Amino acid sequence: MSLTRRNILTGAAVAALASQLPLRVALAQGGDKVVRIAMPMDFTKVYTFVTAEYNQGQRDYITMMNQRGGMGGYTIAVDISDHANDQPRAIEAYERAKSQGAVLVDPLSTPVARALTPRALEDKLNMVTAFSGRSDAADGTVFPYVFPLSPNYWTQAGLLIEYFKQQDGGSLDGKTICFVHIDTPFGKEPLPVLEALAAKEGFKLQAFPYTPPGNDQSAIWPQVRRARPDWTMFWGAGVGQTVALTEAARNGLDMGRVCSSVWLSESDMDVVGRDQTVGVLKFEPCVSGREPKVIQDILTEVVGAGKGAGPEDKVGTSYYNYGVMLAALMLEGVRRAAEIAPDGPVTGEWLNAGLNSITEFTAEGLIPPTTITPEDHQGGGMGRVARWNGEVFEPMTDWFSANQDVVWDEVRKYSSEFAKTGQ
Amino acid sequence: MIYRRAGISFTRYQDERRLWKLPTDRWAVIVIFALLLVAPFLVDRLFVVGYLLPLIIWSMAAMGLNLLMGGAGQIHLGYGAVIGIGAYASVHAMRAGLPFELAMIVGGLASAAIGVVFGAAALRVKGLYLAMATLAMQYIVDFVIVQVPAISGGTQAALSVPRTSFLGIAIQGDRAPYYVALALCAVLTLFMLNVRRTSFGRALAAVREKDYAASIIGVDPFRYKLLAFWVSSFIGGMTGAVLAVCYYRTISPDQFHLDLSIQLVAMVIVGGLGSVLGGFLGVGLILFAPIVLNQLIGLAADQFGVAIPTDLRAHLPLMLYGGLIMGFLLLEPLGLAKIYSNIRNYLLVWPFRHARQ
Repeated sequence: MSLTRRNILTGAAVAALASQLPLRVALAQGGDKVVRIAMPMDFTKVYTFVTAEYNQGQRDYITMMNQRGGMGGYTIAVDISDHANDQPRAIEAYERAKSQGAVLVDPLSTPVARALTPRALEDKLNMVTAFSGRSDAADGTVFPYVFPLSPNYWTQAGLLIEYFKQQDGGSLDGKTICFVHIDTPFGKEPLPVLEALAAKEGFKLQAFPYTPPGNDQSAIWPQVRRARPDWTMFWGAGVGQTVALTEAARNGLDMGRVCSSVWLSESDMDVVGRDQTVGVLKFEPCVSGREPKVIQDILTEVVGAGKGAGPEDKVGTSYYNYGVMLAALMLEGVRRAAEIAPDGPVTGEWLNAGLNSITEFTAEGLIPPTTITPEDHQGGGMGRVARWNGEVFEPMTDWFSANQDVVWDEVRKYSSEFAKTGQ
Repeated sequence: MIYRRAGISFTRYQDERRLWKLPTDRWAVIVIFALLLVAPFLVDRLFVVGYLLPLIIWSMAAMGLNLLMGGAGQIHLGYGAVIGIGAYASVHAMRAGLPFELAMIVGGLASAAIGVVFGAAALRVKGLYLAMATLAMQYIVDFVIVQVPAISGGTQAALSVPRTSFLGIAIQGDRAPYYVALALCAVLTLFMLNVRRTSFGRALAAVREKDYAASIIGVDPFRYKLLAFWVSSFIGGMTGAVLAVCYYRTISPDQFHLDLSIQLVAMVIVGGLGSVLGGFLGVGLILFAPIVLNQLIGLAADQFGVAIPTDLRAHLPLMLYGGLIMGFLLLEPLGLAKIYSNIRNYLLVWPFRHARQ
């Protein structure tokens, strides 16, 4: 076939029509005892390897549980697509998921989750917004169908400040804490909580915004050094994190007093240099590494059987384990839902009841005991601080939670505003 | 034969002046519009909410930009910001209690007022330099929205759009937003089709071709360049309001970044500069090719067991998309509208090939 206009146009038309086939197939298949979960995520634009590792963990865990016979008799069907952080594509993916009968959507993107929130609430379609989306969605009374299921950024910031306080002998009075953040809504999010804590604990908070995406932060970090911080928090995602660490090391900051949110992983350390960053701290929502029983089980039952969703060396990395954590929580929700109403029907409400009744769930030691209630969709806000030792992140504390009063003040402030104007 | 024309030219001025001169074209427009009207009752809701609605709204934006780029020959790399201003202004107006009809006008006026300030750069600079000036607008507007909590809506930077109605129809559910957008788009399309036949449209064309020449024949480039920016920004602002109310329902700064501006410029160029139909075709291609390609690759991977790694699975559609755009531009630099017009010209005289057109 030669490359003529006619062939190209015909080809394009046929391709466009053919792509609509899977929807029909999926609609036709809609058999019973299947719980559909849609995962439109950003594999290509901003989050890239973060999504790949996170999603790999989710899929491996779901594969394992399906092999074991599903959750409460229900098989989990996962639909993965790429929304590239582009909202029309994400909305299309969401609407497609809704048409296909999905009862849970996990977009793993803050802008997308924020945009989808009114739709999810209206359609009664559960949306997981782990480490993304609106922090005030922790308030389940206002956001009944939005589930962060993980410590939000306010909790992470509050917990880190508590750790600093413990390390400095129980008081932060007169200390200087620098907050280096990407200059986007996401980066500025912890500021109100940090300001409230600064007033309460008496430390001096200095914020240093850098322009997105954060490829160049060389102007910021010398200023941070001049501020002589007692502690430094850096808040970003993707490329900004590795650049921040590089600059922190270059400016001679004490790595043991530099700290990140959840978005720091072994892959970042490979970029900056595993030995250059020894001592750096991060917030950890779940155990990293391959020791937890779930990860061991995945290694034998899924990866060992050649059914792994991605490269084997990523198994047990931080983001992979986040994926396993969230998949475990989602599937625990399915299991609970099947307990409450064994015969379904599988709807958003059905799964919602299950997710809302997750109690003291630890995923066999992978995550801190997590309880989801209709009021608290964050799950208690527990985590721990981990230190990079050049090889792995080693825990510095036990699971704990801190400053939840300040966090919940902030949560209620924004959720009540949403309740007032969002309808 | 298909168009039932046998070389007879028009015998009356009023026939020559019609928007669609051939009966076949008129029928095609009527049928397509009728199909669009009944679409929510004919096809799956996904196609209405996920495809037709964004197609209509993005087409409105593309038409607004096309007036400036294709009509007046002024490049604009900050049109996303123009839409953003309209969206934010109208949503704030609605939150303050204004009805949607008025809020839309407020959005349009806000965009037009700010857009024309940056458009004033066009009085001094042209081409690439104007591109830089409008690019600056994009970044300044982005910056202001993100930095002022009163505009962006606090730390969550997500501003919910209040429930509203248009001419008594509550905008909720799947169908109402679609019909509201369709009605506004129809009005805008008629305006765009007619504007080129007015003295305003002709003056813009004169400025587009050569501004010295335009001023020699008595068209004031100062006035018409500013007017072009004003009208185009007004349309952009109204589109922003429609986008916020009918489609996004929550607005956040990232919806109006440079990506949107570039996407719109691409839509206008791929569709065909200066063509109204091209706007629709360009939007269809740029907006949906990535989605459709993604599903195709997904289909191939799932149904036919083509084993491709996750990374490639995610990036292959992007490669194909890039190739597709390059292919279209190589084969037909004048855009999709020209491809349509070629097909139409071929059919006009079919089955003959060399008849007078």
